[in-house]
Amino acid sequence: MAELVYVTKRFTFSAAHRYWRRAWGVEENRRRFGPLAEVHGHTYALEVTVRGPVDEATGMVIDLVEMKTLVETEVLARLDHRYLNEDPAFSTELPTTENVARLIWRLLSPKLGEDRLWRVRLAEEPTFWVDYHGPIR
Amino acid sequence: MAPSGEWADVTRAVHFSAGHRLSSPHLSEAENQRVYGQCYRWHGHNYLVEVTVSGLIDPETGMATDLEALGETLQAGLLDLVDHQDLDEVLPKTITTGEGLALVFWRLLSTRLPPGSLRRVAVEETPKNRFEYAGEMAP
Repeated sequence: MAELVYVTKRFTFSAAHRYWRRAWGVEENRRRFGPLAEVHGHTYALEVTVRGPVDEATGMVIDLVEMKTLVETEVLARLDHRYLNEDPAFSTELPTTENVARLIWRLLSPKLGEDRLWRVRLAEEPTFWVDYHGPIR
Repeated sequence: MAPSGEWADVTRAVHFSAGHRLSSPHLSEAENQRVYGQCYRWHGHNYLVEVTVSGLIDPETGMATDLEALGETLQAGLLDLVDHQDLDEVLPKTITTGEGLALVFWRLLSTRLPPGSLRRVAVEETPKNRFEYAGEMAP
């Protein structure tokens, strides 16, 4: 009787970034990335999904308050109202939606557990989002 | 016209409003208080339920499911039971967490829908919390 249920919590955070590879120089960055090479920002919409069996005693897969606190301390405290290019995770990698989703996965999976964290969905804007299911899947 | 033999998933969303509190018969009053916090108090939500069914696209009608029949099933099998009700009273053996509701709605609807057609039930308590069951069991 261990049904697997998916639990998703939604968050937003605001951050600035630019697509800029130091090694490439001004011309090349502008040519490759166009307007994305300039510093700009987004209100990111983040969905964190956990999958697991429902605890018979509590009727819960995960304590939602615990999940909220975890995302606030691990992710939002680090990314909200920040310039993502200054984050150590983006010293060499570009802060693309894909890479920010991967960073969020890396921040959360040790706390939530590789087998429980199911998906990180990150939307830069309502018309564009990325799903990341971890390095293995 | 779609060629025969193709499947599609069709989702219908409905809303209902209901009251509930989280409390478990397996826990003492103090434990219930601790585990569920403010959710142990009586409160309510405007719930969103998404029901996804899969079916073969009928080459004549272009439909994978009879939407009207699905709407009637949702009305009779779900909304008539829960809308503007106390969930703990109408679903007496359920801890009415989002997880618990997704599972019990799946059971209520799967018996009324063509066998094997129910794909997924999603429940949103608030726009911030979503719970989904797709018929999977833990290995």
